[in-house]
Amino acid sequence: MKRKSYSIDRVNVSALYVFLAPALVLTLVFGYLPMFSNIIAFLDYNIAKGWFGLASPFVGFKNFAFLRQSWFYGIMGRTVWYSFAGLVFGFPASLLLALLFNELRHLRFKKVVQTISYVPNFVSWVTISGLVYTFLSYESDGILNNILEKLFHMQRVSYMQDPKYFLAVLIITGIWKGVGWGTILYMAALSTIDEQIYEAAEVDGAGRLAKVTHITFPGLIPTFSILLIFAMGGLFRTNFDQMFNLQNAVLRDRVNTIDLYTYFNGVVNGQYSLSTAVGLFQGVVSMILVLGTNYVTKKLNGVGIY
Amino acid sequence: MHKRRIRRSPGEMAFDGFNVLFMILLCVIMIYPFWYVMILAFNTGADAQYGGIYVWPRVFTLENFVYVFKYQTLRSAAVVTVARCLVSSVFGVSICMMTAFSLSKTRLPGRRAIIIFFMIPMFIGGTVVSNYIVMAKLKLINNFLVFVLPGAFSYFTAVVMRSFIDNQPIELQESALMDGANNYQIFFRIIVPLAKATIAAFLFFAVVGNWLDVTTNVLYITKKQLYTLQYVMMNVIKSTEARSIIDTSSTQMAKQIQTIQDMAYQPPTPQVIKMAIMAVVTFPLLFIYPFFQKYFVKGMLTGAVKA
Repeated sequence: MKRKSYSIDRVNVSALYVFLAPALVLTLVFGYLPMFSNIIAFLDYNIAKGWFGLASPFVGFKNFAFLRQSWFYGIMGRTVWYSFAGLVFGFPASLLLALLFNELRHLRFKKVVQTISYVPNFVSWVTISGLVYTFLSYESDGILNNILEKLFHMQRVSYMQDPKYFLAVLIITGIWKGVGWGTILYMAALSTIDEQIYEAAEVDGAGRLAKVTHITFPGLIPTFSILLIFAMGGLFRTNFDQMFNLQNAVLRDRVNTIDLYTYFNGVVNGQYSLSTAVGLFQGVVSMILVLGTNYVTKKLNGVGIY
Repeated sequence: MHKRRIRRSPGEMAFDGFNVLFMILLCVIMIYPFWYVMILAFNTGADAQYGGIYVWPRVFTLENFVYVFKYQTLRSAAVVTVARCLVSSVFGVSICMMTAFSLSKTRLPGRRAIIIFFMIPMFIGGTVVSNYIVMAKLKLINNFLVFVLPGAFSYFTAVVMRSFIDNQPIELQESALMDGANNYQIFFRIIVPLAKATIAAFLFFAVVGNWLDVTTNVLYITKKQLYTLQYVMMNVIKSTEARSIIDTSSTQMAKQIQTIQDMAYQPPTPQVIKMAIMAVVTFPLLFIYPFFQKYFVKGMLTGAVKA
């Protein structure tokens, strides 16, 4: 809703700045201060040297030497691979589920199923890690092992000790937690599709499948594009909460991603400069990805967020 | 949803049938993990270790919960969690609402610059380490305020709230102005009462976010008095903490047990203690949320539409 200038905006302006003050201060302290603190990526940082350690010697791009070292590309490749795999499986899942919800005829049933599908969104990754370690346990409470042993006479496996199962765990837990909640946006998009379009299609002899492929699905594309832009920005990071809670000491080095690395190497082991450099590189690439995807989708179908 | 007047073909009927079956399966997948936690938490540890409990507790007991509730760290964590949920949600939502009101005044001098100021950190923020250093220098490590301050203001939330204010008839504010109200009175007497539902939605969002958050503790808290429920649960799941809960509670109960002279007494196992803790920490939110789902979904949607 566009508004013309109202005299109301000119009255008692000082109150408006008073209302803005806390937000401005918090943004300055928790938005800009950490941003500027990123300069420690260019210092040989020692937290004890001067205020904020800013008296540490300037070393230019020395801390970015990791860009020429192979260990970094191992971690980076894994980060992209994990989040790409999560995207490929997780992203269409919500779209598909929304389409199936939309085809349910019994409204009460539909509502109950939707409500239940949102439940895992209200559970922390800590709880999920507890569930994962229980369900995949080697012991007698490990349901997956029990089933596979009973039905297929397979050997029991300690899944959470073996890195080759880790990606599957990430993908499945990601879908389990997010698939229901992710349908909300799609369902909202569906509810805006004009009823008359469906009626017109029926008159023209369109079947149910034709209506889905020609009306419902295209109606979801704008929402899909916007979500994709956000998701592309995340391609260069993994979910720290998820990674941190699902990993363990045995797996850590074999499933390390940029987010785990910056935490364990920086905060835990105190290699501040190197970790900040890695984190800064990650942040810059993510930003380029967001802006780039935004540009491309805007060109392609006129939908963008900025 | 559109009505379908045409009679269903056999193919469609089969599809509908499969769809309903799929949905039932989906519900089982979403709910059963919690059920499994529940039945193990209500089962004695000595019996649970033999496995095979899938539908109902085999040897029912409340003892696991008795042990868990005796666990001092969990009790203090409950207080910290409730406190941070209340304080930071009220604080955060107030700040966002005030900001939204100010930004809804399109003629506010400097408005454009302020918006840009808010937006820039959404693109390039701090890294884990630079955040950590800022918190350390601000003395927020092992400080209750670290739960409240860093996450309090969200520009995104403020934008959603502003779109709500924009959709209210401007005449309400104008007439108040005629009657001599200033901006404080307009905000507290008109905007806030109008926005009750929106405010409620964001309060619930904030409470959920605070309840589920564990990263703040992982990064900035080492002091036991500031552990939250999620963090305690994480320690129990990831380490041998469950063992020590059993041991301390057992010593407390030793006297009681001796008087009964029950030599066959077996304390709970770490396995069922973990389950009981997971139940205690996870379920409160799951039982509350269906009542507020209406607000959640609405809040989520207004946010999305604006974005």
